[in-house]
Formats: sequence, C-alpha cells, structure tokens
Amino acid sequence: MEIIKKSEKISSLIINSFHIKDVVLADKFKIDRNILSISTKNISNLIAEEKLVSNIDLKIIKPNNHNLQINTIMDIIPISTKVLGEIGEGITYTLTGVYFMLTGIDKSGRQISDFGSSAGLLKDKIYFGRAGTPSQKDFIISFNVTLASGSAINRSGPIAIHRVCDQYIQLIRNVLKNLSANKSDEKHIFHDKRTPSKKRVAIIKQVAGQGTMYDNLLFPDEPSGFKGGKSIIDLGNMPVILTPNEYRDGALHAMT
Amino acid sequence: MGIGPSTKETTLHHFRDPLLNVVDADQDVEIVAVIIAGTPQDNKSKEFISKRTANCLEAMRVDGAIISSDGWGNSDLDFVNTIGEVGKKKIPIVGLNFIGTQAEFVVTNQYMDTIVDFNKSDAGIETEVVGENNVIELDARKALAFLKLKMRK
Repeated sequence: MEIIKKSEKISSLIINSFHIKDVVLADKFKIDRNILSISTKNISNLIAEEKLVSNIDLKIIKPNNHNLQINTIMDIIPISTKVLGEIGEGITYTLTGVYFMLTGIDKSGRQISDFGSSAGLLKDKIYFGRAGTPSQKDFIISFNVTLASGSAINRSGPIAIHRVCDQYIQLIRNVLKNLSANKSDEKHIFHDKRTPSKKRVAIIKQVAGQGTMYDNLLFPDEPSGFKGGKSIIDLGNMPVILTPNEYRDGALHAMT
Repeated sequence: MGIGPSTKETTLHHFRDPLLNVVDADQDVEIVAVIIAGTPQDNKSKEFISKRTANCLEAMRVDGAIISSDGWGNSDLDFVNTIGEVGKKKIPIVGLNFIGTQAEFVVTNQYMDTIVDFNKSDAGIETEVVGENNVIELDARKALAFLKLKMRK
C-alpha cells in the first residue's frame, strides 16, 4: 500500500458570497446589483398550507435600526443554496449583509421558548457581531410566525415554524442559484485533506435532542435549510460524523 | 434547564463556527471530523451516547479532541460523561462549556482539568441576550492551546 507523505486533498468545497447592500419589498424575488428584492405575495399561501401557523409577519430591519419590539428569537439563518453537488462538496452560494431572524409566539401570547425568552427590544436582546448573530451593519429579515393556540408546547409547533420559514427562504435561494459566479464578491475554497505528519484532531459538538424546542436537524437539502433534514431525536441522538466541509456547508440546522 | 437564549448556537453560528475555523487554520493539527452528538433525556441513553462518541474517536484513531456543549444544566451530564469515556481511552480531550456563576458542574472527573468557560457576562449568568454567551475565536484558541499541551505529554 502506498503511504501518503505529503498533504493530499480529498474533497473540495467552494463558497461564493454575494454581498447585499439593500433589501427592498417588491412584486418579485430578485438579486441585482447587490440589492435583494423580496415579495410578500406568497405568504398567504404558506400560511394556508401549514395548519398550525395562523399568521406570518415579515419585516425588513435596516442596519442600526434596532429599537423595536420582537418576540423570542428562535434562530438566525443565513441564506445559502447549493449550486453544484451536495452539502459538503461542490459549490455553494451565500448572501452576506442579510440574515433571517426567526421569531415565534402562539395565539394566546405564549413565547415559543422554554428555558428563558429573548422577547423584548431587539437592541437589548441580541449581541451583534458574533458568529451566530448579524452585525450592526447587516440587514435583518424579521420572520415572525404566530402559531395556533396551544401548539407551542408540542414538537409539531416549533417544527412548523422552521419549515414555513425555510419555504420562504427557498424563494430567495431560487433566484440566488441563477447568479453568475463571476458576479460574486468573495470566493472561498476549502479542502478536506490528509497530512500524515500532523496531529489528528476531532471536534465534538454536543447538541440538544431532548424534545420539543430541544432539537437539531442534520443533512437538509439546502445549506442551513430545513427540508430534507433528519432530526437528531429521530436519529436516536447517536453521534454523527461529518467531514469538516459538511459542517462548514450548513449540514446542521439548529432548532433550539 | 437546557438551553437559554444567550448560550444557544444559531444555525448561522454553525455555518461560520469559530471553533472549526480556528482548528482548521492551525498548522500543527489536522481537523479530521466534526461529530454531532445529541443529548437525550434519560440517564441510560446519556451514558450510551457518551460511550458511542468516545468509540467514534477511538475508531478514527485521533490524537486529540475538543468537545463543545450547546446548553448547560441537563446537558452537563452528557458533557462530563463523554469527557470521562474519552479520557479513559487515553485520548487527550479539552472541553468548552458555559459555566459562569450559574452553571458549576454538579459532577466531575479526573479528565476535566482543561475546561474553557465561555461565559461572557459580568454576572456569570444566562442573560437571555442571543449570542452573548457563545464560543468566540478566543475561546477556541484557548481550547486548542490546551489540547496541544495535552497531546505533547
């Protein structure tokens, strides 16, 4: 058997990022000259298809404009899509400068959270500029979902919220997919490789899997997506080994 | 207890995780895998998952591992158990956890000599501010530095 002495590439992932300088409401979804146009036309259909969802309120929050009341933050989600290959290899497009903020409440006024709530003034309830949060300069698309009364405490309620938000994000992904790579603002190439001279290190990410609001999805169809994802609870909470590039490419969707 | 707003890792956090970036960028080590381990509710399952995670590391013949926990309280048991199981195999392991003043470990073991506390609040508590008590690059660097020392022994 041949022994590999030098560093050898096993697989590659390219992430092209497109920077968004403005987000506007329009009739159609469009990304043109760093401006993202989004439409609210499809929202009534999304509500009609989800029986646990009674309302969706979409709002564009401009940079440094964070003095507004929000419900508990369920997730912050990047807008990314696969252009070539599957999660962990090939080409991914992602938007920078804009992120989804998913919030939720039920009709009776119960926040969709269990162990402490982040409902309140946005400026007080988010620590801007962390890896997992937008910066002060980013646009935030606030996607607030109201559940039918009583469904907040069942597993199906929070799942419906994540699913309906993902369906909306897909409408943006569909236009993002069609952009030309040479229009991207940044291109990052990541190689999974092996180098026998180096110490081998693994990262263990311990994630929630106790139920209802303590869940995580693996392997969604789209990076950081929901559709097609497998719940860690349904996988028996068993450890799942990801390549570094799979993890980097949005193989894990938080539902905590 | 489980995950509070300030400790939970969002989907965006996983997409641009500083822990992966720091380990991946380091010239002395090679990142071989990111293992996602769930935290079940009952103790028997918790012990089982800890053992399975440790065996994944053994099977991969890693030289060391960093374990990071999303949440505290209930999940501390999984965290402590996993470190114990990995330690028994003589695989160097370093932990990242939210501790502060609110979340001291109830149980511990001899392999928990290198734990990085990623609490960021002055009071050491779950502040309910999203992102505040999350792992940042500095925490990841500390953990990797600890691991390199442990792997040298």
